[in-house]
Order: sequence, then C-alpha cells, then structure tokens
Amino acid sequence: MSTQTPILAADKLSVRYGSFLALSDVTLSIKPNTIHSVIGPNGAGKTTLFHALTGRVRASSGRITLDGQDITHVSDDKRVPLGIARSFQVTSLFQNLNVRENLRLAAQGRNPLQALAPWRGVDPRDHALAVADEVMERLELTHVSDRAAGELSHGQQRRLEVGMAVAAKPRLILLDEPTSGMGIDDVEAMKALIRDLGRDHTVLFIEHNMGIVMNISDTVTVMRAGRVLVEGPPAVVRDDPEVRRAYLGNMITGDIA
Amino acid sequence: MNRASLHFLLAALVAIALPLFMRSGTLASEVLIFAMAAAACNLLLGYTGLLSFGQGIFFGLGSYAAGLTLLHTSLPLALALVLSAITGAVVATGVGWLSIRRQGVYFVMLTLAFSQFFYFLAYTFKDITGGDNGLLNIPRPAIGPFSLGESWAYYAFVAVLFLLLFAALQRVASSTFGRTLLAVRDNEERARAIGFPVRNFKITAFAISGAVTGLAGALHALLIGVAPLSNIDYHMSESILIMTIIGGTGNLFASVLGAGFYVIVSDLLSSIWPRWLLLLGGLLIVVALFMQKGLWGLLERLVEALPMGRKSSINSSIESPIQPESEGRGI
Repeated sequence: MSTQTPILAADKLSVRYGSFLALSDVTLSIKPNTIHSVIGPNGAGKTTLFHALTGRVRASSGRITLDGQDITHVSDDKRVPLGIARSFQVTSLFQNLNVRENLRLAAQGRNPLQALAPWRGVDPRDHALAVADEVMERLELTHVSDRAAGELSHGQQRRLEVGMAVAAKPRLILLDEPTSGMGIDDVEAMKALIRDLGRDHTVLFIEHNMGIVMNISDTVTVMRAGRVLVEGPPAVVRDDPEVRRAYLGNMITGDIA
Repeated sequence: MNRASLHFLLAALVAIALPLFMRSGTLASEVLIFAMAAAACNLLLGYTGLLSFGQGIFFGLGSYAAGLTLLHTSLPLALALVLSAITGAVVATGVGWLSIRRQGVYFVMLTLAFSQFFYFLAYTFKDITGGDNGLLNIPRPAIGPFSLGESWAYYAFVAVLFLLLFAALQRVASSTFGRTLLAVRDNEERARAIGFPVRNFKITAFAISGAVTGLAGALHALLIGVAPLSNIDYHMSESILIMTIIGGTGNLFASVLGAGFYVIVSDLLSSIWPRWLLLLGGLLIVVALFMQKGLWGLLERLVEALPMGRKSSINSSIESPIQPESEGRGI
C-alpha cells in the first residue's frame, strides 16, 4: 500500500494569514481508496489545511499534487471537475432552495460550463437530477426533497452538507467535522455513511469524535499548532506519547473495532 | 398551468389591457419599455443578488446607439435596435467584469462610479450626444410595411417586443443558468465550492441585463424622438431600481407591476402635485419595512385572502427565488 502513488499529496505546505502562520510545512500524502482522518486540538490548522487543499485559500509556499499533477495554483472551483469535493464545518447550504435543487447544483458543479448556457433548461432526465435523487436516497433525505434546506433539522442539514460533496461524484472527498453538533443517533448514522463512502471514494475527514476516528480510519494525522505531529494507523497514533500529551492524555478513548 | 405560463399570461394581459384603460399611447408604451428595463434589473437584483446602479448607463447608451444609427445612417430600424442591444451588452460586460471584483457595498459603489463616469462622458462629448439638449429629432422609420408614426401603432410594436423579451427572460431565469444564479445569490461561497466559476455567471447575467436594458433605452428614444441626457443620468438607474424593488424581486412579472405602477402613478401625481416624489419616497420606506416582496407580494396575499384564492395560489414553487429574510444579502 505504501508504494502506491498518493491521490493527493501536500509537500511542505504553508499558509500565512498576515503575520500568523496557520499552516507550517505540512507534508501529507493520502493513499487512494483509504479513509484518512485529521485530528488535533482547536486552532491546530485542520480547517486551514482543508481550505488549502481545496483551493479556498492560497498556499503561501509548498506544493499540492493530485495524482502527481501539480494543482497548487488551480482555483477552488476548477478543482471540483478534477475530482475534489468538500463539506464544511459550518453548514453552508443554499438555504432558500430545496434539498433536491441543492444536490442537483452540486452534481452540476462537475460540469459547470454546461450551466452557463442561458437557454438550456433542466431536463427531467437530466444527469444531475438523477445524481441528486441517488444521493437523497443514500442519505435518507428523499422524504424532505421538496423542503427548503434552511427548514431542515440540524441533523438533516449536516447530512445534506455531506451530500453536497458526495453529489459531485469526487474521487477524493473532504469532510470537515461531519458530525459537529449532531445527536448520538445521527453520529452513528454518519459513521456508517463515512465508512460506506470509503468503499468508492478516498475520504479525508476532520473529526473530534475519537470513537469514529479510531474506528474507521486507515490512517490518522495528528496536527498541532499548524504542524503535523504524528501520522500513522489508529493504534499507533493512540499510543503515541506526544499525542497523549497534546490531548492532555484524556481525550482519546475510542475503541478500535 | 405552471408558474411561468401564468406569469407570461399576466404579462400578455397587461399588454392587452393598457390600450383599453389608457388614453395616451405614449404613456402605455413607456410602461412596457420600463417593464423591460426593470425585468432586466431584476435578473441582477432578484436572481443574482447584485444591486447595480449601472442600469442607467445601458439604458442611456441604448438610446444614443439607436439615435445615432437612425440619424447618421440609413440602416433599418430593426438593425438599430440590435445595435443598441449589443452596445448595452458589451458595456454591461465591461462594467460587470470590473465591478464584480468587489462585493457588497464596494460593488454598489463601483456601479455608482461607472454611472457618474458615463454620465459625464455623455455630457462632455456634446458633438456626439448633444450634451444637455440630448440627441434631437430621432426619426421613427417604418418597420417593413408597418408605419410606426402613430402612437398606438408604436405601442403595438413595443408590446410585441416586450412579450418576446419577457418570454426570453423567463427562459433565462428557469434555465440551468438562471437556477445557478439563484444559488449564487443564496450562497456565493458554496456555489464556488461546488465548482461554479461564479464570476463568469455574474458577467453573463450583466451582459443579458445590459442587452435588454439597451434595447429598452432605444425604444424609449424612438418613443419620444429624443435621446435625452437624462436617459443616462444616475437618476435613470435609480428609477429603474425603484421600479424593480417596488414591484418585488421574486419574479419577473413583479417588475412589470413595479414599472407600471411607477410610470402611471408618477404621471398622475406630477400633474397634481409637483412634490409627488415625496410620496414615492414614503412608499419605498413602506416596501422596505413591511412588504419586501413588493406589489407582487401584496397581490399574492390578496389572492390568498379570496375564498377561492388558496387553491389557485400563485406562490410557492421551487423556482421562487427570493425569501424576504435574505433581502439585501450579498449585494
């Protein structure tokens, strides 16, 4: 497995906000068809890492490659057709549009220029619509397909948030704290979903729930203060003394199934 | 009947009803001309979330383009109109391309600055535009076998164009393009994150809006036989925006209501009381505070209040772009 070309790799990636170094020389490599999690205390730079990988913020230095191709200077919207899609930590939906339309747009985002034709209607047999229906089915949102995204419950909104990334049919899917603010039942469902997504996507996700992280990840990267502290399989990471110190010893408790 | 057909039918009813209820063909034509300009403005404001003070530029340049073509060349009327639409589209693309580099207040300020800039250009190049006096004596040639000299004949011509453009704008609004604009309006960052090059969409919206507004400007110049400096004035941008907002930004027909209301009421009031603009200001405040869906929203509520109303309710469709809560966001 270690000899495979990584699907996504960051090489000495740094991001600077003014004089603050949010990300410092992060080197990361995501193997295809694995579930890779990023953990670390608040302010460790996890979300900044996601922003840099998806192109939302510009890297101050370093390189990002997708399948060996340099994408460091590719803008965020152009990375989607290349096969990278993400969800956000703070739910970011089209609040006034219904669930189906949210997902249709996300699916259309793979072929965005097609949507630039002002005369082209939305065909009922549209590919993007079919994808939207399929994703709704998978996320158990079909029964609310005509509701505005803003009217959904928190758990449903979080599922839709993940669905927006899934609908792009990416090869690499980045999920930023998919379970944030979820109730216990929803968390279990999300865990099953992420594991399921891992079957046909490469998944990179940020998570605070150690139960999920230790349970379903193939690789765990621990970050602190903008740097990578440790990286390895869950069992190794859990027992690493540095990690225990970073987390004050008491946060990593999840079982390894 | 779906929503779009209903709205088109309403627009057609307006075009048919105006001659029945109005004595002046000039005023009736003015209603439809401004309805086009307001609907084009609505594409930016209601569908894309862009509050543009540049609409007067496109309107005024459309007037000049048609006027200059008809005064200095022997090109047919249809071509003069096409040229003014192209002028509107090209300039709107440029203004849009530069303005959307900034968001919110700074975007609005940029469109305002462009509005002033083009006004002073028109004022300065008196040889071309006629400056303060405007471009005078613009002819209104016949279109094919039809003479447009008589004011109701010209109205018929404007009405046909109005309905064609209204249908075209409806098509744009319901296309994948229009639906993406709604997404941009709702959450621009997410739209970018799911892969849409948002700037290209905004510029295209500007181009379409500019083309329609330019054509409306040309029709206005032909209507009054003059391309006045006031057509490119900042007040023109303001008037078009006010019509759009009073009508409601939720759908394109609302703009027809807004334009009709503005043109007819200002005609009535200005003859009674020279300070009638005060009343308009008051109305704008009421709209902003209590009826963000504008006259259309009011109409919707009236229809729902009717005993039969609930069944034939005209609201709530997935294409309904605007909720009042999001009003004014992401301009």
